[in-house]
Amino acid sequence: MKIVVLTKAAVPLSSAIRIDPKTGTLIREGVPLTVNIWDRDAVEFALRLKDRYGGEVIALSMAPPSGIPALESLIGMGVDRAILASDRAFAGADTWATAHVLAKTIEKYIPDYDLVVAGEETIDSTTAHIGAQTASWLGVPYIYYVYDAEVKGRTLVVRRFLEDEGVDEVYEVDMPAVISVLKGSQIPREVRLSRKLNAREYIQVVSNKELGLDPECVGLRGSPTLVAGMAPATYPPRKKVVIQGEPSEVVKKLVEILKSEGVV
Amino acid sequence: MKYDVVVVGAGPAGLAAAYKLASAGFKVLVLERGREPGAKELYGGRIYAYWLDRFLPEFRKDAPVDRWVRKERVTLLTENKALTVESAVLEKERSSFVVPLVSFVSWMAKLAQNTGAKIVTEVTVDALVRDEKGRFVGVQSGSDMVQADFIIDAEGVNRLLLERAGIVKKLEPHYVAVGVKEVLKFENKKVLEERLGLDEDEGLAWAIAGYPTEYLPGGGFIYTYKDSLALGVVVYLKNWEKLRTPVYDLVERLRLHPYIASLVKGATLQEYGGHMTPVAGINMAPPRFYYDGLLIAGDAAGFLLHTGVLIRGVDFAIASGVLAAEAIKEAKSPSAEDLSVYEKKLRTSFILPQLEKFRGADKLLGDEALFKDLAVFSTEAAYRYFNIDDEHRTLLEAAREASKKTGISILKIMINMLRAVRSL
Repeated sequence: MKIVVLTKAAVPLSSAIRIDPKTGTLIREGVPLTVNIWDRDAVEFALRLKDRYGGEVIALSMAPPSGIPALESLIGMGVDRAILASDRAFAGADTWATAHVLAKTIEKYIPDYDLVVAGEETIDSTTAHIGAQTASWLGVPYIYYVYDAEVKGRTLVVRRFLEDEGVDEVYEVDMPAVISVLKGSQIPREVRLSRKLNAREYIQVVSNKELGLDPECVGLRGSPTLVAGMAPATYPPRKKVVIQGEPSEVVKKLVEILKSEGVV
Repeated sequence: MKYDVVVVGAGPAGLAAAYKLASAGFKVLVLERGREPGAKELYGGRIYAYWLDRFLPEFRKDAPVDRWVRKERVTLLTENKALTVESAVLEKERSSFVVPLVSFVSWMAKLAQNTGAKIVTEVTVDALVRDEKGRFVGVQSGSDMVQADFIIDAEGVNRLLLERAGIVKKLEPHYVAVGVKEVLKFENKKVLEERLGLDEDEGLAWAIAGYPTEYLPGGGFIYTYKDSLALGVVVYLKNWEKLRTPVYDLVERLRLHPYIASLVKGATLQEYGGHMTPVAGINMAPPRFYYDGLLIAGDAAGFLLHTGVLIRGVDFAIASGVLAAEAIKEAKSPSAEDLSVYEKKLRTSFILPQLEKFRGADKLLGDEALFKDLAVFSTEAAYRYFNIDDEHRTLLEAAREASKKTGISILKIMINMLRAVRSL
């Protein structure tokens, strides 16, 4: 079974996201990039399928060369190899143009793939578009919020969980297909020294010279959406009120304050 | 997997050793638990440059430096009073500098990598591996084992590997303090300089005792980076149960103290973190610094000099890493006998003599009465001296009044001062 995992080098925590108040863009300087945390669920999911059914797991990312350490980390987890699609022409891409590059890279380098696995969303963009859009470019079915899967011949039986509805669903889908994995549903395995040691050797970097994509369809020019602006959400300042005394009185006072504030 | 040297921990000690050994042609592997070198580290902090000129002179060329410290400030602080002493050097001074530790460590990592040391991050070492004769022959990480002729344990203050190997006992509360700090960023460096009265690229190191720790041993600190400052509190772990406030709240309270609040007003919280720091110095050292196949460097060896206001960790760590590398270069075999040259080097360098000299500092600094008495008494006495009312007091009268008001005898203060003068 040949499984492709889509991954992004993202900021480590949502709290590391800072927006330049003047330009309204993300501050990248000084923010170390690492594997998007929810992609580790996707990688774990893919590795478990491999553990069960054999085959190969290939990580795929579109990023500048600074995205290599993130792929090295996934090799450390046990991914067999990785492909980094990297070209100046890809810069400024929205999710549609990114998915285009990812899909075309899969078609060219991993044409015999059985399954593409994505994380639910990225921690620094949270669009959750890439899985769906990659499926669209590849022309294969897409199922999201998946937390478990079983292979029956050419059919994949997947379980997915809809948090809001509290509903557990089972789907059967013909492979090849694209799925995205419910965030937090897996326990990602540790990075192994023996894998991480020579991780760079398992990473192939491909540029648009090899991919040969129309420059009008990639990067900023190939992006139908533009980020028009961004602003940090401001929180109302804390009032820093400390209520002291017997618990019963404190609670009474607290409720009074909350009432007067219109909270309850 | 086989290497000449495996270094556990990509901090100042481990990277200094790796750099020197790789430069000398050794095949070196550095294993680091964090996502990048320095990711798990935290200090106040500043780095003293004097010994770096001897052990890592490369730093003068291109290491990152935010500000050279030219102002040293010590404040005794109570809820509503403060007494500050400042020592300033007006010419260009190059004896200690402030920089985010992670920047300095990543500079060291590049230095080591450029000479051929291999650094692998995100990998936790679970155990030091011994052969049947008890010699250290490698490290275990998950199901992977790496063999090495020499191992340098530079795992830091929380020395779990040394514990598991039976070399040291579990960390005792009186060995360590916990530090928590915030980095507060100003709109630009001009604002920071104006608020704190600093020249361009001039740095301030500020120790604050009394109020920050609820008058318990430890203290608060401020160090100025380029356009931000570190503000934090260090509390001795042995006093943990006496603290009425969680340590992270102590930091916030210090930030909101009227003496500090106006300085950092409008600055935004950029990061915060906490870490253990050794306070017992040489008193928490392992029985030996060398074993068959193993050397111990940096915080793991207790190589941090703490005298209250002056805290030196990074220069000790780097120097001990370099000495460990020199010992390995000179040793004919990995036997403890051949590696004992490491201890000799530690003794003839500044490391052990200076740590020995301040062996008693820990006990004094851990004295609960000292901090409370000194802060409460001195601020009160100073206030009474400077405050003119019916009386215009002599210093002695001010001290007597303060003694009466606070119930702290002048004699006791003088004895404590004498102790401090001798052992700090």
